[in-house]
Amino acid sequence: MFTDDFEQGFEFNNYDEYGAHTGDPNLDNEYNKQQLKMPEIVKNFLVYFRNCVNEGLIFELQTLYETSWPKLTEDYFEKRPWPEESEVAALVDSDPVFMILYKELYFRHIYARIQGGPTLEQRFNSFYNYCDLFNYILSADVPVPLELPDLWLWELIDEFVYQFQSFAQYRARLQKKTAQELETLNSNNKVWNVLCVLNVLHSLVDKSNIKQQLEVCASGGDPDSVAGEFGSHSLYKMLGYFSLIGLLRLHSLLGDYYQSIKVLENIEIHKKSQYAHIPACLISTSYYVGFGYMMMRRYSDAIRTFSSILLYIQRTKQLFASKSYQHDQINKQTDQMYHLLAICLVLHPQCIDESIQQTLREKSYHEKMYKMQYGDLQEFENCFIFACPKFLSPCPPPVDSIPDDYSKEAIRHQTQVFMDEVQQQKMLPTIRSYLKLYTTLPIAKLATFMAQNKNNDGKFDVNKETQSLLIHLLCFKHKMKNVVWSKGSSGLEGKLESGSELDFYIDNDMIHIADTKVAHRYGDFFIRKILKFEDLNRKLHNLKL
Amino acid sequence: MAEAMKQTVAQMLKGIERYNPDNLPTLEHYVEIQSRENAYDLEANLAVLKLYQFNPNSFNIDITSQILLKALTNLPNTNFILCKCLLNERQLSEEPINEIIYLADILEQCDFQLFWTRIHSLPELTQKITGFLDSIRKFVCHVVGITYQTIEKAHLAELLGDVDDLTLKVWVNKYGWKEQGHLIFIANQDENIKTKNINEKIDFDSVGAIMASCR
Repeated sequence: MFTDDFEQGFEFNNYDEYGAHTGDPNLDNEYNKQQLKMPEIVKNFLVYFRNCVNEGLIFELQTLYETSWPKLTEDYFEKRPWPEESEVAALVDSDPVFMILYKELYFRHIYARIQGGPTLEQRFNSFYNYCDLFNYILSADVPVPLELPDLWLWELIDEFVYQFQSFAQYRARLQKKTAQELETLNSNNKVWNVLCVLNVLHSLVDKSNIKQQLEVCASGGDPDSVAGEFGSHSLYKMLGYFSLIGLLRLHSLLGDYYQSIKVLENIEIHKKSQYAHIPACLISTSYYVGFGYMMMRRYSDAIRTFSSILLYIQRTKQLFASKSYQHDQINKQTDQMYHLLAICLVLHPQCIDESIQQTLREKSYHEKMYKMQYGDLQEFENCFIFACPKFLSPCPPPVDSIPDDYSKEAIRHQTQVFMDEVQQQKMLPTIRSYLKLYTTLPIAKLATFMAQNKNNDGKFDVNKETQSLLIHLLCFKHKMKNVVWSKGSSGLEGKLESGSELDFYIDNDMIHIADTKVAHRYGDFFIRKILKFEDLNRKLHNLKL
Repeated sequence: MAEAMKQTVAQMLKGIERYNPDNLPTLEHYVEIQSRENAYDLEANLAVLKLYQFNPNSFNIDITSQILLKALTNLPNTNFILCKCLLNERQLSEEPINEIIYLADILEQCDFQLFWTRIHSLPELTQKITGFLDSIRKFVCHVVGITYQTIEKAHLAELLGDVDDLTLKVWVNKYGWKEQGHLIFIANQDENIKTKNINEKIDFDSVGAIMASCR
């Protein structure tokens, strides 16, 4: 009943009354007051929203969260914050739980949309609000009577980690801070402290028994049998699951790739499951997992992870195209993953799905891959910096540091680690391009090719060239043999394999080369022709003469 | 000793306890034991580096060096990279970490001759790590094992750090390789390394639907 009233009475696009100035100074004054006052429709929305939260109307909440909130934001609060806490509290009898949830959305909006970003005070208050929320959820003796849409829970955890990231970056930029601000920051070291964030995520994981649930689930059992009182409650279960993904992201941001992948034990990221139905969550998971694999030089695993999720995105694009605020994030991450995939394929050439290959043939990617293949180190670095997570240092700069910008230190370090790896491999593409032309090739002959390639007027010492070639050949074999996952509950497991498309061995002074030959694929071609023919046939039948 | 500690330490690495700085003395002691007894526990060592990352004042360069050297004994695995990612720019440039980074770099490039020259000029660096040089020889044998079908004896001896005939024999036997005059036969590689042909396989299920619609 209330729903009807709400929709009839306050159509979201009936807001013309706020639209125009009158030109009359007195009336305009009146208008400005009106602007500051909360629009009726927003008031009603908030009151209704609170009711839905209290009554646990999950489907209604979903609409309010996914549709109404963004719509009202666009209409009334595009460039300014949502109404202050005090104004809203008056409307909802200061309902404590609703106020925490409201403030979560309020601060998230400030982070996302307000020019200049949140102030120091807002960052602090948002942190305290998260503390209130998690205290409420975690310190209860029995599961709290709260149900929220899964998408909201995912975005809540993701935002929590994001705000930590944002704070750490902000904290490390000392150069523009006033003495007052530094004083406040130094005396409040607990706020947005990394241990605090880790503690919240770990507590949510523990409270929900999600690890045990996933383990039982992976072996085909019923997760409810180990879920316990809290874990069988949807709110706790999903918060637990999303916290694992939050940990994955947090560990990646700190450069801890081993932990980041380990935390996902018992989650098979390519498999559909009852937990994995939020596209943004799936995509984010694969992004960080793939990235971790790439850094560990597990290129086959990285390529498999990226291709699989990119294929999923290609196929489901239309589904989330409508929700614009998620769409931007997904698009950005997709583009980053194509860049990472391009890097991996240059370092470790391998067959991938035809439709992903198709996208990589597009001009922008193709050019970048071409440059990387020809040893353009700057291009590697550019692609990496564009596509990597926003790394951060877990600790603020020491109190006595000179006021400088320290926020780029972590990313510089991770880039350097990656570039060291690329540097070590820089001769491999050249060797590969020669080997590709032969099935057997004497070492001395290849040494001559390599020497001539160096452009030294045809003068070189064959012995020296052979010596250095032998080193490069050993390096080639070493770098192309990576750990590859095939089964097991942990993504860290796997066996050493040579997954790249070109391989070779040396028999005394002769190189024997094995390439991968891919035959033409006719299936897709015929299917398309068949469908076209069908279509034509149908049209002909429908023709009335 | 290392075995006995493994269990205790595993408990310290569970959940949020992993970040408890009070565990640092025990974990650091465990690193020393690993060095002494030629044991290895990657996870515990990463936890130490993580604690240094969170508590920069506790950073211990000697322990860090041991962790990095132990990671080198684990080549061809990429444990060294994992450790490197948890340090920062400033720490990497400190003596002797910069030296270890350089050793890792030449090992990763398989420039073994250069490695042996370098390591002989730095005898104290790896003193604490029991069995360090032999671990590197194992890595050399791994790379040789995946690269060669037959290799010149002299070249192999050189890769292993100019070892004498007797030592060479020990390594050759250990891996089941065979001496054939001036050559060493490693393994028959043409069975593992051969040209792959990828042909399209279309099974009936995947075309069933379209065939049905074409009737």
